[in-house]
Amino acid sequence: MSQQGVIGGQAKRLDAWDKVLGRALYPGDLYVEGMLHAAVLRSPYPHARIRSINLEAARALPDVVVVLSGEDIEGPNAFGLIEPDQPVLGRAGSKVRYVGDAVAAAAARTPGAARAALSAIEVEYELLPAVTEPRLALAPDAPLLHEDRSSNLLHQVQLRQGDVEAGFVQADVIVEGVYETPFIDHAYLQPEAGLARVDEDGKVAVWVGTQWPYEDRRQIAHALGLAEEQVRVIQTTTGGAFGGREDINVQIVLALLALKTGQMVKLVYDRTESLVASTKRHPFQIRYRTGATKDGRLTAIEVELLANAGAYASTSAAVLTTAVTVAAGPYEVRNAKIDAQVAFTNAPPAGAMRGFGANQVGYAAEMQMGKLAQALGMDAVELRRRNLYRNGSVMHTGQFLPHATGAIKTLDAAVERAASLGLVPGRQVGRGPKRRGVGVACGFKNIGYNLGWDDKSTAVVELYPDRATVKIGTCDVGQGSTTIFAQMAATVLELPLAAISMVVSDTDIVPDSGSCSASRSTFVTGHAVMKAAAEAERRLAALGPNPPADALPVVVEHTYHAPATTPLDPDTGYGEKPNYTYAYGAQVVEVEVDTSTGEVELLRAVAAHDVGLAINPNLVEGQIEGGFVMGQGYGMMEGHQLRADGQPQTTTLATFLIPTILDVPEIVPIILEEPDPDGPAGARGVGEVPMLPTPGVIADAIYDATGVWVDKLPCSPENILRAMGRLD
Amino acid sequence: MSIHTIELRVNGQPRLAQVSGTTTLLELLRDQLRLTGTKDGCSEGDCGACTVIMDGQAVKSCLVLAVQADGSDVTTVEGLGAPGGGPHPLQAAFVEAGAVQCGYCIPGMLVAAKALLDANPQPSRDEIRWALSGNLCRCTGYAKIITAVERAALSLRSEAEHSQSLQGNDL
Repeated sequence: MSQQGVIGGQAKRLDAWDKVLGRALYPGDLYVEGMLHAAVLRSPYPHARIRSINLEAARALPDVVVVLSGEDIEGPNAFGLIEPDQPVLGRAGSKVRYVGDAVAAAAARTPGAARAALSAIEVEYELLPAVTEPRLALAPDAPLLHEDRSSNLLHQVQLRQGDVEAGFVQADVIVEGVYETPFIDHAYLQPEAGLARVDEDGKVAVWVGTQWPYEDRRQIAHALGLAEEQVRVIQTTTGGAFGGREDINVQIVLALLALKTGQMVKLVYDRTESLVASTKRHPFQIRYRTGATKDGRLTAIEVELLANAGAYASTSAAVLTTAVTVAAGPYEVRNAKIDAQVAFTNAPPAGAMRGFGANQVGYAAEMQMGKLAQALGMDAVELRRRNLYRNGSVMHTGQFLPHATGAIKTLDAAVERAASLGLVPGRQVGRGPKRRGVGVACGFKNIGYNLGWDDKSTAVVELYPDRATVKIGTCDVGQGSTTIFAQMAATVLELPLAAISMVVSDTDIVPDSGSCSASRSTFVTGHAVMKAAAEAERRLAALGPNPPADALPVVVEHTYHAPATTPLDPDTGYGEKPNYTYAYGAQVVEVEVDTSTGEVELLRAVAAHDVGLAINPNLVEGQIEGGFVMGQGYGMMEGHQLRADGQPQTTTLATFLIPTILDVPEIVPIILEEPDPDGPAGARGVGEVPMLPTPGVIADAIYDATGVWVDKLPCSPENILRAMGRLD
Repeated sequence: MSIHTIELRVNGQPRLAQVSGTTTLLELLRDQLRLTGTKDGCSEGDCGACTVIMDGQAVKSCLVLAVQADGSDVTTVEGLGAPGGGPHPLQAAFVEAGAVQCGYCIPGMLVAAKALLDANPQPSRDEIRWALSGNLCRCTGYAKIITAVERAALSLRSEAEHSQSLQGNDL
């Protein structure tokens, strides 16, 4: 058996050669003779009612095959992951709710003809007042986005645990902070794209870069009034996702155009369309009050969260609730009061993005710990160590944590390694115009669906004595999940990696394994694969040394359900088990701040993450390094800017800046393996948590260098100079 | 719209194409020649996914008009390996180092790295960073990409030394 192919081995990713040879086919790389090219007309206004849409001139243009509005859709013409409140296309009388909302679509024989068709569509709008700021959106006289609702309040959560007043009375020190985080874009390198066509049986097939083909199928069918069996979704090679491909982008419009034309249709967003139309990370406004005794024990927290949902519901309610479940940071505090709201605004819809609400509150919680250390005159590492979760801790939700030693181990590992590099947090080493500082921060987040959702995944294993096929619906969007599932199957079946064929993500061929999100794939689909493989192995063994040919392959389908979770109590926020497990990390960084310009250089970084068990350590390092750098972007430079009137300002990668290779420090990734008692072979998951401590650790290092807390992300030169009182 | 006939070498093969005055080299490569290894991430020179080598220089093919490539020699990711032979050491090093995640930036990274190593066989990590500074990656954090280029440079140098010593033996 190949040692590389087993769990814990350094198997090379199965798709790496296709990718380096330029052979991997992303949706934009699929060319079919005679295919049509699609384009989508989008609203130039943040809030307007459509009086009329005239498609006649557009339809009359040469090479234009169809031009459609919402009036051409027979189904509900609406989609959304939790509730279908977003129109696929507009029609007379319907509204547009953000700049980029889809109004009409065209398919033509050339891309140029499709664009020309859009220019010839006449839409008459009645402009409505727009609101882009959630606090203003919640004012009684604010323009109402969704008329079937009584206000712009999309969801709220409250938590009352312990005795908060008594907790603050008991406190020797109380620190307060007000924090703000921006919209950011996923900015995956591959802009949204796909193809669709109708086959002989009238079934519509959609090829797309996605995180969840079965959910796409459900939403396509619902919006267009089809049975789910009439829709097939096939995941192509996907150029990054980070949560952004969990929401619908090209899928429904493509299916509609294919159904109306009977031809293969291709739709490729350009970068501006991607930045304008796609979902974003939720901006949060956070007010945070923390009390502690003089020996550094947390006594109470009081937190107010106000999140911007943008124009449609997407997963906002789940993001907000998840944020509440982790709002204390990985620190034990029994007296907690949290009030959280998320409001509709005329901004791009906010949805899932790597961290799912944990990033915003994680940054705020770490800032509070830093300020508390300063107020107490206590070492910031020691303060964290005293409060970090350990086995038997009780969270602010009331959840009992039987296993949480990873939290302290990650902090100790990061601090020790950093010290060996000469990096010690909290020394205030900076003098002069260019000042160096070292920061520390922790981070944590749940693995998997939570709050009562059944987190399940199905895998099929087809086993022959010398080889096996594994069928799963879990999308590999770049992280390498297909490779680790092959390693898991190879380990259980005691076969070489090359004997495992992976079949992934085609709703006609594979089962539903749930989404590739919430850091859940290793845990949930991993279990499904390993259990299906073990059962197949058992049944094959039962056939004896010479199994009859007609008994082969042995086929086993297994659905794994992760440990059950509970919703938060609507009045008290109590959750017996809102999440089934948590991943922990800790980071130390060194920065140099130019105090005359506010520019920050990130010099060195140590990132320690407890993943339970690294199925493939090289891929885990890739998640830690890539997650850290995405956290660096969030912490230092990223922000999708809207003018107050709702017009987007960062519509190219020259204005929506993400880290380049010149921005990133040398990163020391540290993998810790505190086995998860419920995880497959002890594995837990790693997708999200590497970016969670990062904005906080950068801000902590900037404080160490300058003595100034940057309470507004990103820690850009502008926000740093403002925090230093040198900009209005 | 006027149509121009251009002649160029792509990955060593002579190619004849008819393009409009606004067709970019990227569109020519992908839409006409179907060399889809070269990726389109922004169409305006910000991301580097479309990087190709034109007459020895790494260029962003979305910023080059096809007519400007008339008479030039273009190498794309499909042409990095030895003609009819194995992959380029850079490609092997990217696989070995785990430098590939979603892979969309990788063709541009490989091509930009090839241009670097052609000009500078022994680059420092900083020189690698500068050479790849026009290529965005959202997945990897760049660490393993830098390592892969370093390793490829090493294996190219040892290959070169090996073939020199073989030639020495022939004398």
